[in-house]
Amino acid sequence: MDLDKLRETAAEVVARDDVKYLIGWKKGSYGFRVAPAFVEDAESAAELIFSPLCTANLATYLTLVEQLPLPRGQEPDDRKVALMVKGCDSRAVAQLLVEKGIHRDKVVILGIPCPGMVDPALLAEKYSETEDPADINWSDDGFVIVRDGEETAVPREELLAEKCRLCRYPNPVVSDIMLGEPVEAWEPEEDEGVAEVENKDVDGRWAYWQDQFADCIRCYSCRNVCPMCYCQDCILDRLNPNWVYRSVNFSENTAFNIARAFHLAGRCIECGECERVCPANIPLGKLNRKLAREVRDKYGFEPGLDPEAEPFQASYKPDDPEDFIL
Amino acid sequence: MSAMLLNKEKWPEFVGKLTGKKIWAPQGEGQEMRFAPLDEGDAPALEYGNTRVPPKQALFPQTETLFRFQLGREDVEVPELEEEVVLLGVRPCDARSMAIVDNLFSWEEDDPYYFKRRELVTLVGLACSEPGLNCFCTSVGGGPASTEGLDLLMTDLGEHYLLEAVTEKGENLLKEAGDLLEEADDDKVKEKEQLIEESKGAIKRSLDTEGIPEGLPGLWEDPLWQRVSASCLGCGTCTYLCPTCHCFDIQDEVEGFAARSCRMWDSCMFGEYTLHTSGHNPRPTRRERTRNRINHKYSYFVDKFDVIACVGCGRCVNLCPVNIDIVEILKQVKEAL
Repeated sequence: MDLDKLRETAAEVVARDDVKYLIGWKKGSYGFRVAPAFVEDAESAAELIFSPLCTANLATYLTLVEQLPLPRGQEPDDRKVALMVKGCDSRAVAQLLVEKGIHRDKVVILGIPCPGMVDPALLAEKYSETEDPADINWSDDGFVIVRDGEETAVPREELLAEKCRLCRYPNPVVSDIMLGEPVEAWEPEEDEGVAEVENKDVDGRWAYWQDQFADCIRCYSCRNVCPMCYCQDCILDRLNPNWVYRSVNFSENTAFNIARAFHLAGRCIECGECERVCPANIPLGKLNRKLAREVRDKYGFEPGLDPEAEPFQASYKPDDPEDFIL
Repeated sequence: MSAMLLNKEKWPEFVGKLTGKKIWAPQGEGQEMRFAPLDEGDAPALEYGNTRVPPKQALFPQTETLFRFQLGREDVEVPELEEEVVLLGVRPCDARSMAIVDNLFSWEEDDPYYFKRRELVTLVGLACSEPGLNCFCTSVGGGPASTEGLDLLMTDLGEHYLLEAVTEKGENLLKEAGDLLEEADDDKVKEKEQLIEESKGAIKRSLDTEGIPEGLPGLWEDPLWQRVSASCLGCGTCTYLCPTCHCFDIQDEVEGFAARSCRMWDSCMFGEYTLHTSGHNPRPTRRERTRNRINHKYSYFVDKFDVIACVGCGRCVNLCPVNIDIVEILKQVKEAL
């Protein structure tokens, strides 16, 4: 990745009169950490990076903005927001466009072809985190860890994130400006995680999820990080009526997790953020991917590919399968 | 009582002496480590950094039934707490957080639920010989062998644990296990002191808190709050995993005709936190909510109880999905003063 070009382009975009700010990635506060960057002027574009550590899907920030009521006489700043996206992130943008969650003329999309990200948890486990800044770059056949002035080559399979091993769309599906040449899509692996649960019998599956949901602390980081969870009024926050009790027990935890998963059926673009941020290590990706596959197999629908598509849940075809209706 | 030594070979026997009490210890592997009740006959392995989820739920459960009632009836049923609990292997920062939170739950009146548990719980600590990456306890009044909040402190000296009672409860534990222990000589005590000094030296992150508690209110409208909260997702990771965060809500939960009134953890990072019935919210965006998180810990609590409500355990830094780093925020606060 040519970082100079990325920063130069970002600086040009931010300098435009019709752009409010640009959201990209920057080095985090220590070690391998990367943080979202909100760039408001051309100079700050110099802190932007793109590396195998830029796992975070920044599309969530498009709908996360909270606005204060404006003082009388003040006009809202409705300039565009510029956003850097990888392949999976761009699918979130496309799906938001499908759902009319954002307006096309209010975003500037800087697409970056993605050779695959590292799994931050695997990285921390295998190459302990350090206080001193550390970095990772791509090499021809994997990754190179750079720290304390030393370079360590790591095979791609060792650290590649699960979502990337399963990825079919490494190149942005929607963009205004493309940064870099498209990468060649790789053969996605079999989804062993989903198969592992599918291969259990009903009781086994129930026991598996019972065990996982019991660990949930209901911090809602999975919901908040999800670019497709953007209801202004979420049933989980409703106090009257209190649809899902805040009590942390298996029943309520299950109600929450199942509601979250079902609301994402035919909408989840498989960016894996929910699983990455879960402090209880619940494999939420398995749940989402299972539902995504059901929708794909039964209806031939894949979300976040065509911004002009009809939303899956709002469309009906006379020949839609209905053999599961009792 | 003087310091005692326990040969590690006798550790399972020592744990066995705690009969009649429920034992909570760190369980799970790696990152999933958290405090949970131990199966009878087990002796917990205490080689771990710190648990992902702090042990605060032993005193302040995430969901606590205050009382049960039936629709159409006037009487209420208050759950009885009577089980004695021993928490084994609590890190000094987490124990210190309990001592800090005691202030809140005894403010004007003692909270009966919290203090009943406090009475029933014995805290057996484990000094830190290898601090974690984001530990900064020494910057906020703690240390790798701080005994505040603990009943007994254990230090791992290789073949032995050095046991030092802090309270009467701790002394009683040592008495019960008397036949397994031997008195520690001065050398062992010195060995521990040296170990702790080395441990202090291994803490990499630091923070100078001077002037922060008094200065924070003056930074109310400072642009730093917008800057540090811009990437915040508004989830509850930092507060739910914080050992000192103690905000709660009380909600009634109804099933058929039976109902219960519960106290549950709340988080100042949530949108509905301090949402008024009118629809007005004095903390409408993540800027105000982030400002509240920092002010509550580093200013309001200090003003009220003369202690910073942060023990430097580093969990919020480790686990924030978007690398919001409280040490960095406080450095920016320092610069803005």
